[in-house]
Amino acid sequence: MTSSSQVIVVGTGVVGSVIAEHCLDAGLEVLMIEAGPRVSRAQIVENYRNLPLGAKPDATASYPPADWAPHPFHGLEHLESTGPNKYDPTYIRYAGGSTWHWAGTSWRLTPEDMQLRSRYGVGRDWAFDYETIDPYYNMTERKLGICGPADPADQWPVRTRSMPYPMPHLPLSQGERKFTEVMRDKLGLRNVPVAQARNSGMPYDDRPACCANNNCVPVCPVGAKYDAATSLNRLEAKGATILENSVVYRVETGEGNRIVAVHYYDRDKTSHRVTGEHFVIACNGVETPRLMLMSADDRNPNGLANSSDQVGRNMMDHPQQGYTFTTVEPYWLGAGPVVNSGIMETSQGDFRADHAAVYFRLNNFARNRDIAKRAMSSGKVGRALDEEIRRLTATSLNVVAAFEMLPDPNNRLTLSAQKDWLGLPRPSVYWDVGDYVRRSSAEYSNPLAQRIAEAVGATDFKPASPEKFSTSKHIMGGTIMGNDPATSVVDRHSRTHDHANLYLPGGGAMASTACGNSTITMTAMAFMAAEALVSEAKGA
Amino acid sequence: MNRRQLFLLGTAAMLANAMPSFTFAATQDIESRFMGASQLLVNHDLSPAVGARIAAFAQASYPNLGDMLDRITETAAARGASRVEDFFDAIPEGELRDFAFWVISAWYTGSSSGDRDATLFTYEEALLYQPTIDMVPIPTFGFSAPNAWGNDLYPLTDLPRF
Ligand SMILES: Cc1cc2nc3c(=O)[nH]c(=O)nc-3n(C[C@H](O)[C@H](O)[C@H](O)COP(=O)(O)OP(=O)(O)OC[C@H]3O[C@@H](n4cnc5c(N)ncnc54)[C@H](O)[C@@H]3O)c2cc1C
Repeated sequence: MTSSSQVIVVGTGVVGSVIAEHCLDAGLEVLMIEAGPRVSRAQIVENYRNLPLGAKPDATASYPPADWAPHPFHGLEHLESTGPNKYDPTYIRYAGGSTWHWAGTSWRLTPEDMQLRSRYGVGRDWAFDYETIDPYYNMTERKLGICGPADPADQWPVRTRSMPYPMPHLPLSQGERKFTEVMRDKLGLRNVPVAQARNSGMPYDDRPACCANNNCVPVCPVGAKYDAATSLNRLEAKGATILENSVVYRVETGEGNRIVAVHYYDRDKTSHRVTGEHFVIACNGVETPRLMLMSADDRNPNGLANSSDQVGRNMMDHPQQGYTFTTVEPYWLGAGPVVNSGIMETSQGDFRADHAAVYFRLNNFARNRDIAKRAMSSGKVGRALDEEIRRLTATSLNVVAAFEMLPDPNNRLTLSAQKDWLGLPRPSVYWDVGDYVRRSSAEYSNPLAQRIAEAVGATDFKPASPEKFSTSKHIMGGTIMGNDPATSVVDRHSRTHDHANLYLPGGGAMASTACGNSTITMTAMAFMAAEALVSEAKGA
Repeated sequence: MNRRQLFLLGTAAMLANAMPSFTFAATQDIESRFMGASQLLVNHDLSPAVGARIAAFAQASYPNLGDMLDRITETAAARGASRVEDFFDAIPEGELRDFAFWVISAWYTGSSSGDRDATLFTYEEALLYQPTIDMVPIPTFGFSAPNAWGNDLYPLTDLPRF
């Protein structure tokens, strides 16, 4: 069993994988430690196909957790939620992590998104500006294979790109094109093609082109979508060692508060200690702060990296509200990837001083499974039933409003008194989406959604309750980044202020959420961390 | 044990030996009656393998399954009907009508109910996907060549045949 390595990366999700590969390419020795099992794509596809219809919408149902690596799963209370709103993120503790079931939507932040405090007087500013992260966004788009529009009129953010996307955007289906035209003509809104980590019209990265299997969530059956599992063989070919089914439960400090080792349990609950020089904890925005808190020791009684008392605080997400409505004219969503276009321009404006911005995404999931109950309970049979299924599938639209959220120290991850299978404390999160979001729902997003519904000719629009929000599963904030060690956990390189050789890259470091899905930003920050680590390792 | 008791024991043993094939025959009988009634309620190409799975589930859930299947078949026969539209209204409301809807729903959704712990009969052969198969993929199955799915907006009226 490997007991030492120059670089130790905990977690084989997209963030850990990108850092590991950067280190390998620089000639460093890398050991990756992964809590979950390594599974085949075919197995996940079969799991999905074998689910009854009622379980198919659950993105996690195809991923039953291993006893030793529990993740949020129907019927298993891995994550406790307290507070006025329900915190209900999902993530996957398998080798490859949560990009197994991500949609691949990859919106960059705008320069304004990174300066909420100085521009609008709310939230926090980032430790660096857009120009600083721009090259790392380019690296991310190349590494993951993110396709996007070449026409500046269709790009987001609206600014000149420093590099083109590596692939053209995926075509919009006829229904998405129609929606785009209606939004433009009736509301003056731009519904633009989503930049997404999916192979468009060509193979890329040894993976095939997308053939519209419309199952990006919960699993792309052909691997046309990037997920970190697709990179693990390549990492091994480059020399990485990957230990799976190995749950890191303690990070050990030594002299000068440097990290000297991590401890993990194998699936027989046997403990192992691995020493190293540089440590990267990339377990995602819930499991990373949890591990920091679990690792409290005499030097760090409140948990590692926590001299600021900010570990686990400022938990953020994109709270969301869905609208399903029926139109008269057919839209025929469902051909192509499950998310393919959206309205981003509603996410910018001076109103952010008062309430949250919002992004509207037009979901492109095949509608059959969602309209089944309605069709089957219509009392229709025979040809009338077939026509009803066809009509409802073609004319039912699902639009989701995703809100930005402010960092609030009260939204806090702590260790629960409940224990998991290994005897480790479960994570518990206090969750309140906040008035900033609630105001946006009531005053901004609901009225906008109604106009969108009216524009497409919806006959049954219902406003969302300004009290009820679901979780987007974009886990952010719990190890927040900043220049000031008194108020933040990591620096601009995702390196902890408290431990010179410990990096906590990923969503936890994000200082603002904006509205767009955030993995591209997590990955760009991972590249920044990787560069810093490599130069440190090389003594630069 | 007297001779009569011995005889009875022997007969019981013979019956017991005969039981497996008796059960098999009964299962076959129910399956074909189930397919017969299904074909009347759902006028599409129906897979016997899927039908066998639905029938097995129905047998465990409806003690009077055989009787209900026969009554559906008889209702259609009384009207001389082979299309569901021509006799469905004659199925009495209540248990039998509910069962008829359940059978239709099982074929369309491929599941025993909408619950997340329902029994799955089939995924890709669930009829739910067929009325839109020209426009919408069955998720996980490929739909078009790369970037070739921007096809025309077909009218609602052109139902695919299935
Ligand atoms: C349904 C769904 C759809 C999504 N769609 C999008 C989208 O369209 N766009 C977008 O930007 N984002 C999306 N996301 C979010 C995206 O999946 C995450 O942001 C991303 O996967 C985070 O990457 P990560 O590497 O930080 O963490 P993860 O991918 O979660 O990887 C963490 C890894 O660490 C391992 N690990 C955890 N704890 C331990 C431990 N103690 N010891 C060892 N290993 C450990 C895990 O097993 C896992 O492999 C979606 C999420 C969900 C759930």
